[in-house]
Amino acid sequence: MRMPPELTDEEIARRALSDKEAFALLIERYEAKLARYLERLGVGVREDREDILQNAFIKAYMNLNSFDPALAFSSWMYRIAHNEAMSFFRAKRARPQVILDGEGDALITELADEGADPAALAESRLSQGELAKALAAVPSAYRDVLALRFFEGRSYSEISDILEVPVGTVSTLLYRAKRVLRARFPDSFSL
Amino acid sequence: MTAPEQPTTTLAARVLARIARDRIVPRPRWEFIFKNYFFWTLGALAVALGAFAFSAALFEVENAGWRLAVATHPDFLTFLLSAAPFLWALALALFVLIGYANIRRTNRGYRYPLALIAFGAVITSVALGSALYAFGLGGELEEAVGDHPPFYRPILVAERSWWLAPERGLLGGSVVSVAPGISSFTLRDFAGGVWRVDGSDLSAPDLTVVARGGIVRVVGVPAAATSSVFHACFVFPWEIRGAQPEPVPSPLAAISSTSERSAPAARSEECKGIRPYQQLRTLEEAGL
Repeated sequence: MRMPPELTDEEIARRALSDKEAFALLIERYEAKLARYLERLGVGVREDREDILQNAFIKAYMNLNSFDPALAFSSWMYRIAHNEAMSFFRAKRARPQVILDGEGDALITELADEGADPAALAESRLSQGELAKALAAVPSAYRDVLALRFFEGRSYSEISDILEVPVGTVSTLLYRAKRVLRARFPDSFSL
Repeated sequence: MTAPEQPTTTLAARVLARIARDRIVPRPRWEFIFKNYFFWTLGALAVALGAFAFSAALFEVENAGWRLAVATHPDFLTFLLSAAPFLWALALALFVLIGYANIRRTNRGYRYPLALIAFGAVITSVALGSALYAFGLGGELEEAVGDHPPFYRPILVAERSWWLAPERGLLGGSVVSVAPGISSFTLRDFAGGVWRVDGSDLSAPDLTVVARGGIVRVVGVPAAATSSVFHACFVFPWEIRGAQPEPVPSPLAAISSTSERSAPAARSEECKGIRPYQQLRTLEEAGL
């Protein structure tokens, strides 16, 4: 059955309860975004990402009735993918391998002082590899909020819904995460 | 033997194939609604139990006999250790934590910070607990728990034991009868022992308490270690706060407001020698 493309995620989710083909459209909408998100969380192997995504979508389908329309569907879907990724890290005892594909600029700018000279900042710019390595080494709670905020562009409220923590905790985690990350590059950023 | 699964190209196709193969269906909505209400109910129940704990704690604090601690205990720390409502404070903290843990597991429970939920749970428990205390349920609960926990003693039981120490000059019990002029009175202590209490050293406030009857606390000097005669220096009423109201006993005697014995200087040297004499005098004057 073909879905009108203008349907919102929430409307498709409702339809998917009675028509599982509709669920395919949601998978298509989120597959690439979530795969990139998992990469940023440190799931470095493509096959692992695919397994996690498959499990996440199956779980989403099974729990469609628990979707709270007060939330954005994307937050709910990111939450499921995030929880699957955490289960994966726990089960495999795997170390995260963060891969950044030229997307660390927003984070680097954020880490710099407000009054920093942009030219000097550009000169001492960290390589994506260095930043990825540092991100892989910070505690996962910090990596999660940094990835959601600076790579996924999520608002504090959305991050709160994805990670299931209060908004205040999101701000605290972000503040601490930036401080920890800055401390890893004392030559580039003042603490 | 089943045919090997055909390789599928897209993730959507693979997911739908697995849904079909494993006959996966969405879990019914009522399960999630039930789970949500279940955790809200457990959370509310924990807060309600916290309210009971608070009412019992309040009853314990109100009836611990703080002002007479100078007479019953060697120092304030000893008194605090025996009278502070540790069990109920612990129970309140535990129920608040359980309430938080359950509310946190509801659909949107994660949105509320720990401090907000804990503060809300404490405030609710305190407000409800105060109401329960006002209705006399704090005392009922304290009595009901009674001696069940091996390390716990209800405050009234503890206090009765503090006032069942005539060798230390502390005697509590019911005034059974009063001699003319309240020169002496008969008191049945908390263990059932009957005492003749000499009231010759009592001042007007003490005499008023004795004349009113009921349960009293007497600070004095035992006549001899083995006798059942007690020399009273001070008499304080024993009022149980936060309990179900009991019928007021008929007065045992009437006293004149211009009693000659109201002057504290009239007390004998025997009474002036008791340990917290000055503090007890102050309490008496303050009208405990």
